Amino acid sequence: MSHTVAPDAPTFQDIILTLQRYWAEQGCVVLQPYDSEVGAGTFHTATTLRSLGPKPWRTCYAQPCRRPADGRYGENPNRMQHYYQFQVLIKPSPENSQELYLDSLKAIGLDPADHDVRFVEDDWESPTLGAWGLGWEVWVDGMEVTQFTYFQQVGGIEVDPVPVEITYGLERLAMYVQNVTSVYDLVWSYLPDGTPMTYGDVFLENEREFSAYNFEVADVPMMRQKFDDYERECHSCLKAKLPLPAYDCVMKCSHAFNLLDARGALSAVERANYILRVRAVAKACCEAYLAEAAGADDSEGEVA
Amino acid sequence: MAETRSFLFEIGTEEMPSAPLMNAVKQLPKLMCAGLDAAGLAHGEVRVVSSPRRLAVLSAVAIQTEAVHDVKRGPAANIAFDGDGNPTKAAEGFARKCGMTAAELVRREDTDGREYVFAEKDIPAAPALPLLSSICHDVIAKLEWPNYRSQRWGSTHDGFVRPIRWICALLGEEVIPVQYADVTSGNTTRGHRILGAGDHVVANPDVYEQVLESAGVLTEERRREVIAEGIKAIEDQRGGAHVDTPAKVLNEVVNLCEWPSVLVGTFDEVFLNVPHEIICESMLSNQRYFPIYDSEGNLTREFVVVGNGRPECADAIIDGNERVVRARLYDAKFFYDEDLKIPLEEFRGRLANVAFQEKLGSVLQKSERIEKLAAAIAEEAALDAQTAEDACRAAHLAKADLVSSAVIEFTSQQGVMGGYYAKAAGENDQVAAAIRDHYRPRFAGDELPQGDAGCVVAVADKLDTIVGMFAIDEPPTGSKDPFALRRSAIGVLNILRERLGCGYEALVRAALKLYAEQGLSFDEDAVACAVCSFIHGRMEQMARDEGLSADTVASVSAGSITVPTDFFCLAHALEDARANDAETFDNLATAYARANNLRNAELGSHVDESLINEVEHSLFCAVVQAEGRVERALFEGDFGGVIAELASLRKPIDLFFDRVKVMDDDAALRDNRLRLLNRFVGVFANIADFAVLGK
Repeated sequence: MSHTVAPDAPTFQDIILTLQRYWAEQGCVVLQPYDSEVGAGTFHTATTLRSLGPKPWRTCYAQPCRRPADGRYGENPNRMQHYYQFQVLIKPSPENSQELYLDSLKAIGLDPADHDVRFVEDDWESPTLGAWGLGWEVWVDGMEVTQFTYFQQVGGIEVDPVPVEITYGLERLAMYVQNVTSVYDLVWSYLPDGTPMTYGDVFLENEREFSAYNFEVADVPMMRQKFDDYERECHSCLKAKLPLPAYDCVMKCSHAFNLLDARGALSAVERANYILRVRAVAKACCEAYLAEAAGADDSEGEVA
Repeated sequence: MAETRSFLFEIGTEEMPSAPLMNAVKQLPKLMCAGLDAAGLAHGEVRVVSSPRRLAVLSAVAIQTEAVHDVKRGPAANIAFDGDGNPTKAAEGFARKCGMTAAELVRREDTDGREYVFAEKDIPAAPALPLLSSICHDVIAKLEWPNYRSQRWGSTHDGFVRPIRWICALLGEEVIPVQYADVTSGNTTRGHRILGAGDHVVANPDVYEQVLESAGVLTEERRREVIAEGIKAIEDQRGGAHVDTPAKVLNEVVNLCEWPSVLVGTFDEVFLNVPHEIICESMLSNQRYFPIYDSEGNLTREFVVVGNGRPECADAIIDGNERVVRARLYDAKFFYDEDLKIPLEEFRGRLANVAFQEKLGSVLQKSERIEKLAAAIAEEAALDAQTAEDACRAAHLAKADLVSSAVIEFTSQQGVMGGYYAKAAGENDQVAAAIRDHYRPRFAGDELPQGDAGCVVAVADKLDTIVGMFAIDEPPTGSKDPFALRRSAIGVLNILRERLGCGYEALVRAALKLYAEQGLSFDEDAVACAVCSFIHGRMEQMARDEGLSADTVASVSAGSITVPTDFFCLAHALEDARANDAETFDNLATAYARANNLRNAELGSHVDESLINEVEHSLFCAVVQAEGRVERALFEGDFGGVIAELASLRKPIDLFFDRVKVMDDDAALRDNRLRLLNRFVGVFANIADFAVLGK
């Protein structure tokens, strides 16, 4: 398929690298993705758990997200079961949060002066994390490219100080910047001879195979078993006062649940039940983390 | 009035959502006036200026409060002082309340010639600035966010609907010190993010709006105007075109910009094949674009988008928005095309996995029930066989679209999509329309289903939900009505009243029976009774809401006419008759109450004609005549006639009470007269309780 991406448009990886550089300059710890399946960048310990407690924290990272039910076998140009978010978390939220964000758009070639950038109410709530916040989806010329949220509660706990979370939808953003209509036409990078390496080259096969796996193959009894096992393991970790490994188990439970859901294996009642179970362990992890690791007044030697 | 200066108080924020912003715009002047009044600061009219990033008030405020000589009268002198002339506890208490000592109280005669103690104080004028500081602070804190919540930000503990980033507070040229959360007031505002970025000095409140405008910010009123003018121009250019601007979306659009520019975008022809409801929802709800219809009312490929960017970037902005709409409509078309490949019957089977309510089983079970209930309703409403058949078929398929991709994506198009899929699958027009319409009426004032089959399915669906929730003992309570049963009951009543003409009591029974058949256990009589009284309660509320007086409604409610069409006709007939001839009905009510009080059911109502005098005879004849005529009028549905017949009894009953001593010493005469009164009361029975009207 011929592509029409302007040669001066940033590639997919340019966008990631530029955002990393930009936020690194704002004092963010540049992290790598959480090395386990997550449904959103928010689930990374660097966001969920680090939102808790009084200590300042700034981070940014690209996070691949898995939403098995969103797979379309690579046939829909806008929807995938695996995609990228670029996540920024700053605690406490600075006075110029929005201005920092708008400058980051400029850094990747979307100068707000040449476009129509809006902050459109979109409040966020995650029942599985017992979390909510107020904020917006950010539109560039009508395209939603970012979620911008001031957390208020995480794991059922009031956050204080308040972190601001900025989540860029990398594919959407890149599609806009590169002016392509299918995600698979995005230029990820260029080979030395100038041949584009597209998003399709990198991920189309992955989308096909995982869509088939998620919808048709994933072993339902095994996923149920996996959920039960990791839930139990989570409780063992909590008993041993190890909130981070416990939280790791929550991610495993959550992914097993997502696969069960994609397989259509859950009745509505069962589904609600599983969500409650994830929520219960997630909440317990947040409480344990606050008590063990992020609590107040142990900041001797901490970097402020 | 004392010397005044112009006053400006602007709360500068990050982008506030439209609904809470509009609510705050209403609260703000009231709070500010209340604050100024309480502080004794004279002021002019308080005017609001708002944009997504600011809430401001402008007024003229006195530079100080008026000096006041405050006089309060206390107890009488003989109570305030004892025999020795020393102040009593009463005097001390009064003085304390006034913030002074008893010795400072003044003793003198008042205009009534008696002597009292007085607390007299000179309260000097207070400068406005310190008062305004605390008033402004309190106004921020007192703004409420109903149906919404406020948030914290940074390290502060104060809340607002979105973070406050600046406060501009001026009395004349002087900055009013205001401190809220982590923000301190100054004499600068901020302009449009692009057109007037950064801080702008406001030299004094009189130039505030000019400063805003030159910094790319228009007030709400001006933005609304600019948008309306832009839309008008677009309609005019397209000879008779119409741009659809639903109020809710328009309000959001007005509050999503500070400097609107009205632009037109276009989408590809091919998407016009997608059901227009999805296209419009996608544009309106998701993107806040306004669809454009041509002069014949057909949806066109063009849409209106209101931008907030630099007008010279219009092309880039339109291009971007067109790409978004293309992606959205591509998705919609994709879902729609995919859905069309799957038979409705297959979708219906999948409803087994969709819970209707935890204790009430799946949506598939619901669809089985409403199919049977539809048959019962069609019979009760005496509909023809074809309509009954269509209704049952529609009920059978009505819920199938809930598991279609398009409805999962565009939830509010439930029913609408089912209608399209049914049509595509070869179902007849009535069936398709009934599926499409069966959620109606969805809100107060919404249209009823177009066809009778749709009315039947709508009633079946709603009634099934109502009786189910009552059967598991989860009726609506207070503000808790998660299944919107009140609204459903009103929907059922409207359809029965306007369209089907039948009653609901038998239908409630039928609906409950279907639950019992599916194995739910409950006390059928008790639940039927509770549901009927719930529905009746809604009907009374509807009657009051349409302007019928409460006692008319109560009177008719005490009768036994519950078929909605009849109930409302009767209530209106009674209300009209009372309005036309208040005297007759007040009189009749009094007489009826009297007769009703004397009523003795044990005696029966067989009147011995040989024992009655002339006056009694005329009442007796009137009653017998009325009995016959009321019955006939009821049969004919002539409720005006029913009321007229009741009214005809006024004269004979008045005469009776005037001339006849009911409680005669002769037991035979007395009992016969009581029987006559029983018979008189009997004419009203089942129709209305006139005793209620006399109260």
